[in-house]
Amino acid sequence: MKRNHLYLPLVLFAASSLALSGCAPGATSQSGGDGAGGTPAAGGDLVITQAAGATSLNLTTVHDNPSIFTAQQIMEPLFTVSNDGKDAKPWLAKSYEVSADQLSYTIKLRDDVHFSSGAPMTAADVKFSIDQDTKTASSGGWGYINAAIKDVAVVDDTTIKVTANYPWTPLIADLAMFSNAIVPNNYGGKTADEFYQAPVGTGPFVFDTWKKGQTLTFAKNKNYWQAGKPYLDSVTWNVVPDVNTRKLQLQGSQADIVEAPDWSSFDSLGKTPGIATKAFESTAIDHVAFNQLRKPFADVHVRRAIAYAIDRQALVDAVLFGHGTPANSLLSPGTPYYDKDVKGPSLDLDKAKAEMAKSSVPKGFSTKLLISSGNTEKASNAQIIQSELKEIGIDVEITPLDPTAGRAAINAGDYDMTLTGWTMDIPDPDQWTTFAVDPAGGAKSDYTSYENPDVIKLNRDAQRETDPKVRADLYKQLQQKTGDDAFLAYLYYSPYGYAMRDTVKDFLVTPLGNYHLEDVYKTK
Amino acid sequence: MLQRLSFIPVRLIQAIPVVFGVTLVVFLMAHLLPGDPATAILGDKATPATIAALRTQLGLDQPIWNQYGLFVSHLFQGDLGTSFTYQRPVVEIVLAAIPVTLSLVAYSLTLALIIAIPLAAIAATAPNRGRDIVVRIYTLIGQGMPQFWVGIMLILILAVNLRLFPVGGYGNTALEHLYYLFLPALTLGIALTPTIIRSLRSSTIDVLGSEYVATARSKGSAGVTLFRHHVLRNAAIPTVSVIGVTMGYLVGGSIVIEKVFAIPGLGSLMLNSIFTRDFPTIQAVTLFVGLFVVGVGILTDLTYTLLDPRVNLTGSVRS
Repeated sequence: MKRNHLYLPLVLFAASSLALSGCAPGATSQSGGDGAGGTPAAGGDLVITQAAGATSLNLTTVHDNPSIFTAQQIMEPLFTVSNDGKDAKPWLAKSYEVSADQLSYTIKLRDDVHFSSGAPMTAADVKFSIDQDTKTASSGGWGYINAAIKDVAVVDDTTIKVTANYPWTPLIADLAMFSNAIVPNNYGGKTADEFYQAPVGTGPFVFDTWKKGQTLTFAKNKNYWQAGKPYLDSVTWNVVPDVNTRKLQLQGSQADIVEAPDWSSFDSLGKTPGIATKAFESTAIDHVAFNQLRKPFADVHVRRAIAYAIDRQALVDAVLFGHGTPANSLLSPGTPYYDKDVKGPSLDLDKAKAEMAKSSVPKGFSTKLLISSGNTEKASNAQIIQSELKEIGIDVEITPLDPTAGRAAINAGDYDMTLTGWTMDIPDPDQWTTFAVDPAGGAKSDYTSYENPDVIKLNRDAQRETDPKVRADLYKQLQQKTGDDAFLAYLYYSPYGYAMRDTVKDFLVTPLGNYHLEDVYKTK
Repeated sequence: MLQRLSFIPVRLIQAIPVVFGVTLVVFLMAHLLPGDPATAILGDKATPATIAALRTQLGLDQPIWNQYGLFVSHLFQGDLGTSFTYQRPVVEIVLAAIPVTLSLVAYSLTLALIIAIPLAAIAATAPNRGRDIVVRIYTLIGQGMPQFWVGIMLILILAVNLRLFPVGGYGNTALEHLYYLFLPALTLGIALTPTIIRSLRSSTIDVLGSEYVATARSKGSAGVTLFRHHVLRNAAIPTVSVIGVTMGYLVGGSIVIEKVFAIPGLGSLMLNSIFTRDFPTIQAVTLFVGLFVVGVGILTDLTYTLLDPRVNLTGSVRS
């Protein structure tokens, strides 16, 4: 009797895994909150389901949102983003002063903050925390965000002095970055690896249990510095990859909050008794990126023609089911210095055809549009854009690749056009504008190879300008010029979608996507 | 008896190159995929400099054969490496997922047999008559229903509407595991029953028509006694082979079911590892699945030998 056929399933297992890897979960998240008011009730366990789970609690190196948004409940930075996403407000810091030459920041710390271990937070902890983040720049971490920081010095137990290499206006916003969260000096005597298995911080919750890829539970921090908070006894994040199962868990009361329900059933889900849906303003922007190293995309007329040919409202209606707004700018409404009056290209077929006529390919051309496979939103966008570009003589072939393969192709410049996007991590436009328009930012202008000296100068001037009005003007010009150059064809701004049981109160997500669970409570 | 089991060591030795071959093929396939772990981990906001730094830290700048050699040499020391994604020993992560998937597979098989054996017996005792036709229609429908659809339907009816079972998850205690895994196991079990029923029905009809069953009947044996002593054991032999093959497919099929029911088993782990190009975890899962399939093959042969004394797998001819 032959048994060789028994090995066939082995091959099929590997093959089916590879095939199914095309079904990538893709989720963004942003603020919410029912604004219910009322008297918060203490107690209760909150269960949040998400498509993908945390992978690490080391905020200095981890890049995925599930990890970041959970670890932020344990570790907090000196400054945090305001609820509207437009400002960095003192959090563990009490106040700060900037020297006249804009090179020195003296930051006073709150004196009532303790780690969950009970030890008081001191300036030595703060210096250690910022320094450990900076060091990760050489190993793939977020340390590059501190590139402007020359030195962090302890002045006294509750004061630090941050010295900058050059005048750098986004410095406070950089310190609000999650990677600059405060941890105990020298990790409390542990190695970094040991510490981040169960980190200790000043946040409202403490690490409890973690079954990787399954469930992560934090318990209430009884030493939290905000008196009376948090209200919840615990928070659990469950990983539920399937979007339908996530919704069903909410309907079956197995979950309190569900991240990123699909837009197609968002409204109907919100009409279900006992369930509320919230679409929070975000910093998310979706766009078409052009590879200017490939012909004919170095030609501004081609890029403009495409940008004019896209019906953004149709995309919002068909793909987001109305939950979004057409994009007019490089910046999103949740980002500081966004200008709603900037005239980015919008649907105008006559202008599109006129631009094509002026271009190097007046009779049209064939090209490829790279998208992430398994992402229904991007697939729908691509199909609509494909049909719209046919109107101006552009024949588009859609090429889906799994997310990692697609990203590798984009990074290598191996694409014609692609659908990408961005969300902010700090309450300052600089993180995105430098990434997107300044080749010195290290990312080849969002991997488009776009290079406009005027725009680069505007961006660098804005980095050093301290007057908010002047800065606003610089960013206004930058938004207008990048729109005119159409180095990206902006599509739409989408909110962060959440669905929750109506027993959940005061759940709010900021435009950066993080949430303050210390304010959340449950009613019976 | 012992001589009849002497095929086991031979099978085990034969399995070694098979398992290593599979790990090599999967290693090469995974590395041939465009995009590496550093790209997956760092995402859309990475610069070439940060990607290069992380690649160096993860050892991905080494030649591919060095990486495979390192994997094999560590394997002989019982070390499957460190997960790129979780930065934890892979053994720890895979060992947590193995019992989940094995429980699901065993549970599914048990439910499938509980459903299939009576139905096959009912059908086989009255071929081409009403109850047989009903069972055959069930097998047709059962084969036609996609697993994910059956899973969603079971969740809607039994979990959301009737609130009898949880909507996915795995639970914390052994009893909770049984409770949480019931719906996914039933989903997989339902998918498995048509194949078992068809095989068992067909072989049961053959056995019922055999001379030794006629002899047993003439001696007054009938009903359940006849089935237990004379029919089931003989009719089960082809079905054992079918189940042996199906076990491997069940592990593969668990990828979809684990996703629908949010079960943290090997299927979910493999899928996520491929997304993130977590090579050490992909290798470890493949290695385990290889060992599992080989083990099931040997167990199937062993069951054959025990069920039917005439079966001889040692290679010698039995007179």
